[in-house]
Amino acid sequence: MKRRDFVKASISATVVSVLTGGSFGARALAAGPVKVGVLIPLSGPAGLFGPSSRNCTQLAVDEINAAGGILGRQIEPIFADVGGPPADATQAALQLWKGDGAEAFIGMHDSAVRGALTNLFKGQVPYIYTPVYEGGECSAGTFVLGETPSQQLEPAIPWMASNKGASKWYLIGNDYNWPRDTNAAAKGYIAGTGGEVVGEEYLPFTVDNFDSNLAKIKDTGADAVLITLVGGASVGFNRAFASFGLADDVARLGTLIEENTLAGIGAENSVNLFSSAGYFASIDTPSARSFAEKYVAKFGADAAALNALGQSCYDGMLLLAVLAAKAGSLSAADMDAAADGTSYEGPRGGATMSDRHVSKDIYLAEADGAAFKVIATFADVGAGDNCA
Amino acid sequence: MELIATHGLNFLYAFATLALVVLGLAVVFGLLGVMNMAHGEFVMIGAYSALAVQQAGLPFLFAIPAAIAVCVVIGWLVEWGLVRHLYKRPFDTLLATWGLAILMREVVEAIFGREYQSVDQVLPGTFSLAGVEYPAYRVVLMGIIAVLFGALFAWYQRSNAGARVKAMVQNPALAAAMGIDTERLARWTFVFGVTTAGLAGVLLSPLVRVEPFMGLDYLLSSFFILVVGGLGSLEGLIVGSGVIGGTDIFLSALFDKTSGYLGVLTISIVFLWLRPNGIVSRL
Amino acid sequence: MALSLGYSAAIVVALAAVPFAWGSFTAFQLGLYLIYGIAAQGVALCWGRAGFLPLGQALFFGIGAYIVGAALKTGAGWAAFAPAIIAACVLPALLAGLVGLLVFNRQIGSGPYFSLITLALAMLGFQLANALDWLTGGFNGMTGIPGLPGIDPFGSYYFVIVAALVISTAVLALVASSPFGQLLSAVRDNEERLQFFGFATHRLKAASFAIAGAVAGLAGALYAPHQGIVTPQTVGFLLSAELVIWTAVGGRFGLLGPVAGAVLIGFMASGLRNSFAYWEIAIALVFIVVVLRLPAGLGGLAAGLLGRFVPARSQLVRERPQLVERSPDAGNCDLRFDAVHVRMGTVEILNGLEFTVDQPGVHCIIGPNGAGKTSALNALTGRLPVAHGDIVWRGRSLANTRPYLAARHRIGRKFQVPSVFADLSVGQNLDIALWSGRLAWFDYLSPAPFGWRTGALDDLRDRFGFLADETRRAGELSVGERQMLDFSMTMLAEPHLVLLDEPCAGLSPAETGAMIEAIAAISADTGLVTIIVEHDMAVVERLADRVIVMHQGEVLTAGAMDEVRADQRVQAVYAGGTK
Repeated sequence: MKRRDFVKASISATVVSVLTGGSFGARALAAGPVKVGVLIPLSGPAGLFGPSSRNCTQLAVDEINAAGGILGRQIEPIFADVGGPPADATQAALQLWKGDGAEAFIGMHDSAVRGALTNLFKGQVPYIYTPVYEGGECSAGTFVLGETPSQQLEPAIPWMASNKGASKWYLIGNDYNWPRDTNAAAKGYIAGTGGEVVGEEYLPFTVDNFDSNLAKIKDTGADAVLITLVGGASVGFNRAFASFGLADDVARLGTLIEENTLAGIGAENSVNLFSSAGYFASIDTPSARSFAEKYVAKFGADAAALNALGQSCYDGMLLLAVLAAKAGSLSAADMDAAADGTSYEGPRGGATMSDRHVSKDIYLAEADGAAFKVIATFADVGAGDNCA
Repeated sequence: MELIATHGLNFLYAFATLALVVLGLAVVFGLLGVMNMAHGEFVMIGAYSALAVQQAGLPFLFAIPAAIAVCVVIGWLVEWGLVRHLYKRPFDTLLATWGLAILMREVVEAIFGREYQSVDQVLPGTFSLAGVEYPAYRVVLMGIIAVLFGALFAWYQRSNAGARVKAMVQNPALAAAMGIDTERLARWTFVFGVTTAGLAGVLLSPLVRVEPFMGLDYLLSSFFILVVGGLGSLEGLIVGSGVIGGTDIFLSALFDKTSGYLGVLTISIVFLWLRPNGIVSRL
Repeated sequence: MALSLGYSAAIVVALAAVPFAWGSFTAFQLGLYLIYGIAAQGVALCWGRAGFLPLGQALFFGIGAYIVGAALKTGAGWAAFAPAIIAACVLPALLAGLVGLLVFNRQIGSGPYFSLITLALAMLGFQLANALDWLTGGFNGMTGIPGLPGIDPFGSYYFVIVAALVISTAVLALVASSPFGQLLSAVRDNEERLQFFGFATHRLKAASFAIAGAVAGLAGALYAPHQGIVTPQTVGFLLSAELVIWTAVGGRFGLLGPVAGAVLIGFMASGLRNSFAYWEIAIALVFIVVVLRLPAGLGGLAAGLLGRFVPARSQLVRERPQLVERSPDAGNCDLRFDAVHVRMGTVEILNGLEFTVDQPGVHCIIGPNGAGKTSALNALTGRLPVAHGDIVWRGRSLANTRPYLAARHRIGRKFQVPSVFADLSVGQNLDIALWSGRLAWFDYLSPAPFGWRTGALDDLRDRFGFLADETRRAGELSVGERQMLDFSMTMLAEPHLVLLDEPCAGLSPAETGAMIEAIAAISADTGLVTIIVEHDMAVVERLADRVIVMHQGEVLTAGAMDEVRADQRVQAVYAGGTK
């Protein structure tokens, strides 16, 4: 079937390596399925992304298994909830690792949990971290798929400047590492376009009233806002933003506004709202379309909406397969040695690993009612300096 | 100038909506002494009532009777099954309603899903007020709240209902001697309190995010408003909303939102410490 | 609840066997829950024992964790860990003690205000931990914290945790079974009465909060090397709430209940969360049922089922071998009300009250309702603010004093409604009265005071036979017995000025006779000043050496009973002024 072509292409390397792996492949086959721990939030505020993450993982597993599995062994995903604080996530991961015998991990969760996990794994087991994050992760055995601030902003800010006339930026985010690091990167790109930052503010997680920020945005005469608020805060801010009638005059760019957040913002509040990410459900390429069709075919039209975070789990599984194939083993050390230059094709387009991160295509989408429409594609954007 | 006027209107809006949200907790905590940790979840129930009405294709106003019906039923059941056993154990009501809050969140999630929902704007567009373009629905909402509280004040002054409820709940023997069924009175007081929370949820739903966890936003600030203002009086509620809303808006406007948040926490701590009976205290 | 050594040893052996029986992974998991359980033990001390609920205990946990985390990150190993773990206990203890002192000093009782303050402090702590990036690593946390040298976090570190649990349990058991622990129970039961025995209850509560803070800090200190990361969540509201939940479910009245609660809910959550979509509903339901049906938690249920409830040492029938000397008698006994004004709103309750007492003996204050008799006693003992004027006892001003200070000036007080420690046994009630003014700082944690008795106690036991059965709960006594217990306690504190408010109210004629006889005898024996507010003229006639008549917040007249009775103004007041 045609829609499977890209998977075949991406997995052929795996199969070939298994077939040519000789005695190694035979030994691996004898060892039964590869258990892969999949750490996704199923409870707590981020639990919103649990169902789509689980579905996307399952989709990848089915396809890889149909094509022969990893190193000739079938994949058996074991899901665990890491929606709680890091200590709970550590417990869950340890259970999968030492209790259930997971040989590799895929994680879609916040950076605090990542810190706890790299400390737990200490490079002894391969761990692929998939969501958007602030950059800088270089622990042994850890491979990062997610978009870094420089990846999202390096192309998006100049685009906003030249196409939307964005020159006076107001930066608003929640008060934690990711927004601060994102804005630090943003300032460089804004300066590069000749623009200026007219305001910068970080809000505690518990804040649900954005009126004073909106007054300041209006008062500073900002013509663009870079939003690094997360989840519910982003929804609340964008709703209030539109209700004040700011939407027509001030462009909004977010680096974590995905389909669920947009649904919460509401169609009538999404005018002039842009999002920069490595994936949107509406990317109009053959591989992305075929991925979305398969998703609906398998899980039904009512399944959890596709989004960048959930979809990243699919790519995580693909990356694991090609890394294992290239390294010829599931050992983290072998993968560390083989990682640079590993590449694969997925629904997001092509991706190539260097420095534990991937360069990949970045999409800029504009909200069109309650859906995103991709309006610009930036090919093969690098992840910036992460392991300096 | 326009900036100051905007901040002023923002203050009025924060003030009005805080008072609206806290009203139900003031009734339940102030009169019955029940620290209802599920207060925010009743606000959430109201917002989901509005969502359900929208999904059924009915006009927004239908959400009001829907929310009243749902909150009365849930409130009655909760009082009957949980709260009435715990009137003399304040810390236990706190714990039990915390469990209840988790339960309500999970049930709503099971019905509507975890995702963010959007209740359509009722009056899109802005309204020119004091030289500022201000969201029209907010202006109307402030009007509604002002009228509501005006009426409440008039009734409250005349009937002195709050003091009577409080006296009777605290002295069942006296109330029984006067032929009043205190259990029934307490039950309907509780139901009234949580229903006003539900109504607040309906009225706020076009403006805020709607999701199962939204109730937490309203819970803690409501407690702080009550203790700053003073328990058991409508004046206290108004003053508390003004102080907390004002502190937040003023510090946020002057510095940043974090200062506003820290200011609210600090002022709450200071009041809890130095003036636990609140600004409007009745000895 | 004190556990016998046998049970404790069995539990420790069972805990130590876990890694061998279920493997190091289960032990690692259990280790985290035991760490949480240690912090919850502190919550139980405050809530179950002293009666106030801390809602922000994670603040102290987090401070301990950040301190030890930062120390270990220096790479100095044990050299850094040893002082850090001490700091991780001491700093939270100081902070908790300070907060407790400041707050409890202004508020009697254990209402929700203190709880809300601690909650707000934890929220402040979270925001600071989140924002002070350079210090804490921000939201992403302080990462890469090394374990202790030579100790594998996934292996032998478990035994360090068990050892810490043993230590914290032993320390808290010592606290619970000490006079200090009994005083905390008394705070929970009847804080105001305890103040009238001269105990600064705000300091007792602050001390217990400080101990809870130290225990939480210790738990946090263990957490840092266990997890290798410390994030703001360890300071926040949710962990604080969970600590309370574990305590409630496990049982707040014991020491092992909170630990059991943390372990039970911990394993339940980790077992269910990946297999059962509605696990949070299940846990919420368990929690609600426990609160509704098992206020003492599973610990209380277990204790009841086993029928092995071992009462604390202080509750046992015990010998009182040590005869404590009577404290030296009063020098002078000069009491002066000097134009005292007390207002409540716009009403003048005391309107320039002026009288003097300079002789030992029984002084009765009489007067119609609303004359200000009880208010005069309240002003003297710091229960009512004095607007103008002064109250001088032995040359020292007591205007606007506080109850515990008045008690320390040897003023004893018995209220009209009997006020005893209803949840405590008769023996424990007597202990507290005996300890009034006698406990030196080292006595608070020593078992010795449980063995004290005085001549006065022997005398009172002779008079009131029911005092001999020390194991009865005071709440089970009849009204008359409670009056007599209250009176006995007041006298056991050996006051030099004793204020009795209608001591015979609610007594049968026989009991009234016994009470009058006791008052007369003790008053005559000890040469103290007794002021009695009384309506019953028969009692006044029998006891009074001098009568003070009050009317509308002032003294109408004073003198011997016969003189007063002959006074026309008094007759006028009594004829027209009372119901």
